[in-house]
Amino acid sequence: MKLKSATLRAFTAVHTWTGLVAGFALFVAFYAGAITVFHHDLPAWQSRAAASQSVQSLDDAQRLLDGVLQRHPEARTHVGMLFPGAEWPQSSAYWQDASGTWLFATLDDLDGSPKPPQAGLPELLNELHYSLGLPVVGTWLMGAVSLLYGLALLSGVVIHLPKLVQNLFALRPGRNLKQFWQDAHNVIGVLSLPMHVMFSITGALLCLLFVLMTALDPLVYDGKLMGAVPVAMDTAPVRAAAGVQAPTGSLAMWRARSIEAARAQGIGDFEPSYLKLGNAGDRNAVVEVTGESSRSLGPLGSVALDAGTGELLATQLLGRRDANHATLAATYALHFGEYGNALVPWLYFVLGVGGAFLFYSGNLLWIEARRKRRQQAQGRAQVNMARATVGVCIGFCVAVSAAFVAAQVFEALAPAHVDAGIRWTCFLAWAACAAWAALRAPARSAREMLWLAAGVTTAIPVAHGLAAGLWPWTSAAAGLWAPFWVDAVALAMGFAFARLALASTRRAREGEPNSVWADPAPGA
Amino acid sequence: MMWSRASAGLVAGFFLAAALVGLGGWALPGPWQSTIVPGLVAFFPLWIGAAGAAFGFSSGRRAWGWLGGLALAGFGALWALRALGWVQ
Repeated sequence: MKLKSATLRAFTAVHTWTGLVAGFALFVAFYAGAITVFHHDLPAWQSRAAASQSVQSLDDAQRLLDGVLQRHPEARTHVGMLFPGAEWPQSSAYWQDASGTWLFATLDDLDGSPKPPQAGLPELLNELHYSLGLPVVGTWLMGAVSLLYGLALLSGVVIHLPKLVQNLFALRPGRNLKQFWQDAHNVIGVLSLPMHVMFSITGALLCLLFVLMTALDPLVYDGKLMGAVPVAMDTAPVRAAAGVQAPTGSLAMWRARSIEAARAQGIGDFEPSYLKLGNAGDRNAVVEVTGESSRSLGPLGSVALDAGTGELLATQLLGRRDANHATLAATYALHFGEYGNALVPWLYFVLGVGGAFLFYSGNLLWIEARRKRRQQAQGRAQVNMARATVGVCIGFCVAVSAAFVAAQVFEALAPAHVDAGIRWTCFLAWAACAAWAALRAPARSAREMLWLAAGVTTAIPVAHGLAAGLWPWTSAAAGLWAPFWVDAVALAMGFAFARLALASTRRAREGEPNSVWADPAPGA
Repeated sequence: MMWSRASAGLVAGFFLAAALVGLGGWALPGPWQSTIVPGLVAFFPLWIGAAGAAFGFSSGRRAWGWLGGLALAGFGALWALRALGWVQ
């Protein structure tokens, strides 16, 4: 396939600029997102108490629900709740107060608070992933980044298309380093393209769903969209409260009835994971039980019941879902990697770190393409891009590892301030790294920052061992595999950072001297 | 040059994608309510595709002309189909 050279130039410019503008945010989103895949395993690593926690009984969960409904009249209108199980050993209930703020309650804290239970590391990483940690605008910003990312993917495929097949497995190490980085960028980009396309679409949708619905409503849906959304996205029919009191059923009854309803549709392994209860205490109370079943790209299905009598009202279960519910379930599952077997989260982790590398290598290619080949001193734009790439990207890796170490330190010394401590450590470490990189020669700050990342990341299992007494071998011996794997992956990543630090040291001393990545010649 | 094509993709491309989602939603069999979520999911690749296509035109004027014209035609067709009662 041949393209006109003017077209090729235009798409190259689009790829360069969308890639640069979105690249930094995407690096953060992918690195944090790769770790977020294992968000269920992080609480057990963060605190010893969570590691040895047993699964709450359904009776305890029932006492939580009864307590919340009794104390909080607003929760009777609408309350959500988790079924205790493997994913969430302890149930929590959540509802909106009169001002629209979401409140969360657990059996130990029936009064509820705006802070979700089990905040800590997974919550911080998740916020960094979808909003860079910025409130409100962060989500829209990441939505815009997802769109630029889509445009970068499209233009990248167009410019690479003429040679895509013949160069797919070409990885040419040697004197021409630009060619090597270009090959690495291309092969990762092409082989993980389906995943990138999926993330750019589902990411944009998750960040911008309400903005998009507001925009499309008057344009194509006659202003009737918002009224139609509950039917399209929920399972339970909308029922107004009757104003007549009636006893609300029990968790055990809803659980049994929903499993029975799923089995009647041929789904033998339906496992309820959460519920939404409306009009509690009223004759028209409705409960919607959502659960997982295996062997589907969209494993979540739901059953709506009359909460008082247990009468079946509606289902959206595997194989019989309508287009809206099937698409919604698949969109969520694809983005979060919540389908298939235990290998899928690892695949997402690898692809996520690989994606972060893709954006990092894109920045390196930009600098390399503009390198002045005949002189040591490089242009200001190249130097600043190198500083920003080192400070923001490698600095973020340092900050995330520092947050992990801080989690152990604060859990041991000041358990009441863990969440604040993790946050402050993370953002201060990131800011310090960015400032450090802004002041130093990029060749120097790159290796310093990589050694720092190696040190702080290796300190993760050490801090865990010292603070919680859980070393990798003690975790493994006790069968606590979640904390074991967090420590093991941290060790592996610390090793990888050290290898990268060695490589960049060697490159600075022995590589091509006319570059931002070379040390100045002695005496120069 | 780049900016006029970029704005064509951003603005005209947005309306073109909206018109296509509307046509899909209304013209597919069944009520429009039954394709809300697939329509919302399809919107983003359509918009990105239109924004990318804008850079394939030789000038911003042509990009605006084609994408804007197609968007207008799309909304016209949507309006006509519904006014004639051929879709619901």
